[in-house]
Amino acid sequence: MTSLSITSPKPAARAARARLDWFQIGLLAVCGLLTTGALIYGGYLLTVFQLAMIYGIFCIGLNFFMGYTGQASFGQNAFACIGGYGSAILCVQYGWEPALALIASMVVAGVAALLIGYPTLRLRGHYLAMATFSLGLITYDISIQWTSLTQGYMGYAGIPPLGIAGFEIESERWKLVALAALLGFAFWISQRMRDSRFGRGLRAISGSENGAAALGIRVPRFKLIAFVIAALYASAAGSLFAHTVGFISPEVFGPQMAIITFTMLYVGGVGTMIGPIVGAIVASVLPEIFRSVGKFQDIAYAVVLLGMLIYAPKGLSSLGKLFRPRKKEEA
Amino acid sequence: MPSVVELVQSLVNGIGIGLIYGLIAIGFCVIYNASGIVNFAQGVFVMLGGMFAHTILTHYGLPIWLSAVLATILVAGVGVLVQIFVINPMWRRNAPLFAIILATLAVQLLIEQVVILTLGDQPRTYPEFTSGGPLKIGPIAVGYQLFWVLGCGAVMVFSLQQFFNRTRMGRALRACAQNREAAALLGVPVERMLIVAFALSSGLGAAAGILITPTQYTAYMVGGPFGINGFIAAIIGGFGSPPAALIGGIFLGVIQSEAIVFFGAGFKNIISLTLLLVVLLLFPNGLFGGLTKRA
Repeated sequence: MTSLSITSPKPAARAARARLDWFQIGLLAVCGLLTTGALIYGGYLLTVFQLAMIYGIFCIGLNFFMGYTGQASFGQNAFACIGGYGSAILCVQYGWEPALALIASMVVAGVAALLIGYPTLRLRGHYLAMATFSLGLITYDISIQWTSLTQGYMGYAGIPPLGIAGFEIESERWKLVALAALLGFAFWISQRMRDSRFGRGLRAISGSENGAAALGIRVPRFKLIAFVIAALYASAAGSLFAHTVGFISPEVFGPQMAIITFTMLYVGGVGTMIGPIVGAIVASVLPEIFRSVGKFQDIAYAVVLLGMLIYAPKGLSSLGKLFRPRKKEEA
Repeated sequence: MPSVVELVQSLVNGIGIGLIYGLIAIGFCVIYNASGIVNFAQGVFVMLGGMFAHTILTHYGLPIWLSAVLATILVAGVGVLVQIFVINPMWRRNAPLFAIILATLAVQLLIEQVVILTLGDQPRTYPEFTSGGPLKIGPIAVGYQLFWVLGCGAVMVFSLQQFFNRTRMGRALRACAQNREAAALLGVPVERMLIVAFALSSGLGAAAGILITPTQYTAYMVGGPFGINGFIAAIIGGFGSPPAALIGGIFLGVIQSEAIVFFGAGFKNIISLTLLLVVLLLFPNGLFGGLTKRA
């Protein structure tokens, strides 16, 4: 299969522009309906879906690095941390505009990703997973210890809500609408990049690094760019979290976040277009459903996740493919 | 600047905790070498070892040595269950590497929650194996438990070496590590070997947990840090032989406790994780794996 797409670039390029099948469209529609429902119903559900939107943005970035490029990063929470604290510090201490603070911290996170990624991305497999995981842990510890900058466990309170040029979004409902719009925007950008020459190069890398290098793709540079893109998305998600909730502390961006977002990505389907969005919404709503089970909530969550990983490792959005001839998976 | 006594004292403490990291690291290596899987839930076995030993000791009033043995066997059983119900199905389906990593993390979450429900979330500890105050060598205090850790660690590493080199099953495990397909062709039951690897590694983790609990405490959430430090030790040791992992653990433990002396307890993890990054980037095969550049 790979050899075919290498020897005949034209049909492959057309096939690469993957279309959503009906099952996936259905999933997206269900997610949209759920969000609309939450919008109408209001109350606590609004917060759940606001967070789902933010996690969705985070996961779209993660999907770039993990899904399309086939690398692993357990440490994206480090960049969310930079984004969140950047926004908090710039807005609270220096009274910046939220939108400006968001962009400024994205720049910082991008530069940080560039510097960190350059040496780290030479690693592979478990080593890369562990190196990135430890990056997340280091950032978490620093955010606790560097009290003069981050106020340690105290965290930052009173972060202004999202807004631009003095106009602030106060209503919880409008916050959700704005976040959903941002999610759509993030999705659109990722879609454009996925189908660009660059995006196709990334997917070639995930197929075979040697093959991609033989085709003239600069593998390390492409990987690094994908890493930076993922970091930019993560940072934006961190900033949005800070502006939406109005309070951040180190626990928000702890290693737990890495695991949660990883779960979302796998539930939705790693490397699929709508996977991050579906995963973020499903994995945010799921614990709320299990809340009625009381103290068994986490157990139920873990069991569902394990079941998904074993029986539907490509996630929800590929369940529709179960009825079609299956292709052999590479390990 | 800390005094010499402080430095030596922290060195001794570091060796004690480092031996524990080393034992956990060996557990990582055993599974990794047999299957190419890194079991990130390794830390949870450490926690289970301490919890089970405590429960058996206090609820059934058995002597400490019997509780330790029983707890180790029970935890090895849990490891086998994890292998049969989670790892094996994924392994057979050729699940991608990161899905398996995530699955082991989910297993960790699951076991921790079950422990909270059944045994409670209170931290607990039990007395040292040999009562009596710490041994004083000049101003340096050495707890008796350290000697237990040292002795048991040495015995376990020695018997593992013997197991891998002398017994049929140990050799089969090593054959799986070198080339799974060739081993299968030669009649080695690879999946059964994986079960053995999980039993062995969870038993090792449990032993580490049983040994360390008297000097610290155990609770449902101690597994995570132990697992991460054990993994760092395994990487420093280069995922190779048990002695290398043990030395890697001691190295890590010593550096951590010196870091506490110099920078304060909060920087313990930052230092050890930075050490991990440095080792990963400069010596991807571990400090004892030579200087070849291959990740």
